[in-house]
Amino acid sequence: MRQAGTYSGILSGGISGKTGPHLLPLARIKKIMKRSGEDVKMISGESPIVFSKACELFIKELTQRSWMVTMQGKRRTLNKEDVASAVMATDLFDFLVNLVSESGNSGEAPPPLELDTFTSS
Amino acid sequence: MVDGQERLLPIANVGRIMKQILPSSAKVSKEAKQTLQECATEFISFVTGEASDKCRKENRKTVNGDDICWALGALGFDNYADAIVRYLHKYREVERDKATQNKATCISSQDKDEESSEDKSNQPPHQQAEAPSTRV
Repeated sequence: MRQAGTYSGILSGGISGKTGPHLLPLARIKKIMKRSGEDVKMISGESPIVFSKACELFIKELTQRSWMVTMQGKRRTLNKEDVASAVMATDLFDFLVNLVSESGNSGEAPPPLELDTFTSS
Repeated sequence: MVDGQERLLPIANVGRIMKQILPSSAKVSKEAKQTLQECATEFISFVTGEASDKCRKENRKTVNGDDICWALGALGFDNYADAIVRYLHKYREVERDKATQNKATCISSQDKDEESSEDKSNQPPHQQAEAPSTRV
């Protein structure tokens, strides 16, 4: 299995990896891929490269949609609620619904459950 | 103890990509960046899972770039798939050219002849005028 260092060195313009076409660190992408499931054992050298581009496109799309929400609210600061709204409004981002509602509820009281007991005479 | 940040894409990189698409006057809260960071990480896991399933069904051990492209299409990210297929082909070309250049450098170290390193290129080879003829 090829190591990430080989091609990331070639295309990232050197050791720093900060300059060059890849905006995201390939080694980190590879780590995340491996943690995604037990089945994921072998990853080709190209896969992190593909994800580097895919993530860039994903981040840009989600950011753009979130920004539209920000603008609708006549604000200039994109906040996390804008991101949550964009996720809710986009079918493609269904897989993120739990993620954004978790981060939205952190520190707040959980939604009321239907376990309230009413004393009725 | 695993550092929580290591399981995510680096926030600085995420922030940089966000800046590319936003107007220069736009501001982004730290929490929004963190949310994007987590979403992008989840995106990788989500797509990898789908690609990995496909490999397993086809009795293949290695998830490759084409599997990722396929998974993106299968999950609805068709518009990404096109751009990425092009990106991947360019990457493969670069790799091929590097390999070719390395070979060429070894073989013809004296020859400084023009060598088109771009395959399928219809450009005429770079011609240098050796002796400009002047007419008086």
